[in-house]
Amino acid sequence: MNYYTKYIFLPLLIFIFYFFIPFPFFLSGNETTFVCVILLCFVVEYFIEKAKKGDDIYMRPIAAIKAMEEAVGRATEMGKPVLYVPGISSLDQIDTISGLTILGHVAGMTAEYDAHLHVPVCVPIVMETAKEACKESYLKKGRPDLYREDMVHYVTDDQFAYAAGVNGIMLRDKPAAVFFQGKFYAESLILAETGNSIGAIQIAGTGSSSQIPFFVTACDYTLIGEEFYAASAYLSGSPEMLGSIKGQDYVKVGCMILILFVFICSVLNGYGIINFDVSSFFRINILR
Amino acid sequence: MKRQIAYFLVIFIGFLTLFGHFINYSPLNNFIDNDATQWFDIISGFAAFLGVINLLQLHLNKISRKKDNWKYSFITLFGFLIMIIFGFIYNGSDVSMGPHLKKEGSAFYWMFQNIYLPLGATMFALLAFFVASASYRAFKIRNFEATLLLVSGVFLMIGRVPIGQLIPWWMSLEIYICLFFAFIANRFNDRKKLLISLLLSLILLPFIVFNLGLTSLAVFKITELQEWIMDVPATAGSRAIMIGIALGTIAQSYRIITGREKSILGD
Repeated sequence: MNYYTKYIFLPLLIFIFYFFIPFPFFLSGNETTFVCVILLCFVVEYFIEKAKKGDDIYMRPIAAIKAMEEAVGRATEMGKPVLYVPGISSLDQIDTISGLTILGHVAGMTAEYDAHLHVPVCVPIVMETAKEACKESYLKKGRPDLYREDMVHYVTDDQFAYAAGVNGIMLRDKPAAVFFQGKFYAESLILAETGNSIGAIQIAGTGSSSQIPFFVTACDYTLIGEEFYAASAYLSGSPEMLGSIKGQDYVKVGCMILILFVFICSVLNGYGIINFDVSSFFRINILR
Repeated sequence: MKRQIAYFLVIFIGFLTLFGHFINYSPLNNFIDNDATQWFDIISGFAAFLGVINLLQLHLNKISRKKDNWKYSFITLFGFLIMIIFGFIYNGSDVSMGPHLKKEGSAFYWMFQNIYLPLGATMFALLAFFVASASYRAFKIRNFEATLLLVSGVFLMIGRVPIGQLIPWWMSLEIYICLFFAFIANRFNDRKKLLISLLLSLILLPFIVFNLGLTSLAVFKITELQEWIMDVPATAGSRAIMIGIALGTIAQSYRIITGREKSILGD
């Protein structure tokens, strides 16, 4: 299958099938989501293929990701532990999954540097997954002897009791590097400020948009928005993973152009220059 | 082989969930909306036992080996056992076991109301102090962005309290003039000129605004200004982040369900 067939005709065929099929095969009301998901998937797939074929992929440096290895190195030099907090949500949240994928990479770094890793978790099922991710990372780095069963441990399910527990760990163990990667709620600032008070280098990442300002204020580095989801792909360094980030960036540019187009059309429609209200398609009218 | 099965399950369930969101087939929709979530809850429920066992193992190990701060483990285990006793064994009231968890008079209910909830509320209350210290750091004037944050923050704080509604238009204008001069102050070499310009502006501009009949402009009402800050620049910024998060979520999910993102399984 050549490029044109795969990345132009196939999505077109899917759209034609979706919108013009005579019987109710698809649920109504999800049209915009369907188009967005299909477009994004094909664009990402296109760039993954390009990267696989050896095309040069430039990635803008992300300070927080670059600092992860430095933070682990600093903890090793200081002889202090690395604390990794994977948030307080369960595995049904993509943030937690993203946090655990980053944990795999951080565990690889601690295995390489022979640093002490400490992962207190809030949800038992996350504990099991985190244990597996750490164990595999230590094994992959050829240091299974450094893996300890108490490296990942359960604290409690309660939000503030967990915050109190992690704060206690921070104040007693004084870790040199603290990672907050996952889904956080009101406890984010309590944790980040305590980490700040002990002088640890802190790297945060979350998809909770309401918690990002707290992390930006209290942490040294923060992965904002899609950077958090791209971190694992970025850290893996494999061309196909980097290609997926490139594709994601192109879709973002497309979104910007679309927003600008809708804005101009809405203004023109508002002044009666054009009769077609394009913004009604997205159920938003900026002049209303 | 074990790894291959895990990948297969991730890919199969991932695509099944995705299709269930779009395809109009009630058994599939029902599976995605109800059965799959119930399966997840059942697995999570079993994992709770693993969590409890892990907690006990960790603290008993700490005590037996007298590791650092092992004395705190006694408190954890004591709390754990007390809640188990009052939850499963001793009720302390006439209410039958089970409903006693939510009935007034039982020992468990008393402990929940008088120990557990106040402790949680105490932790939550600490947030107020942490917000104060974090705001102090964020509002420290270091560069243009931090200054902008400080100014917006002050306008928001004033605009959201009752006294903000009492601020007259001329006072708002004076505040803007002072802010404007604060920004351009470093362009003046002569401090006297700066002071004279500031004083003249503070005296003359209110008269000019008054004579032009611009006093009712929304920009001179702090309450409306703070609403504009929240509705326009703050919303624009947060939506930009939300769009990024949505794109990141789709791309991450795509990488996982196509079997490319394997870090979660340790690869």
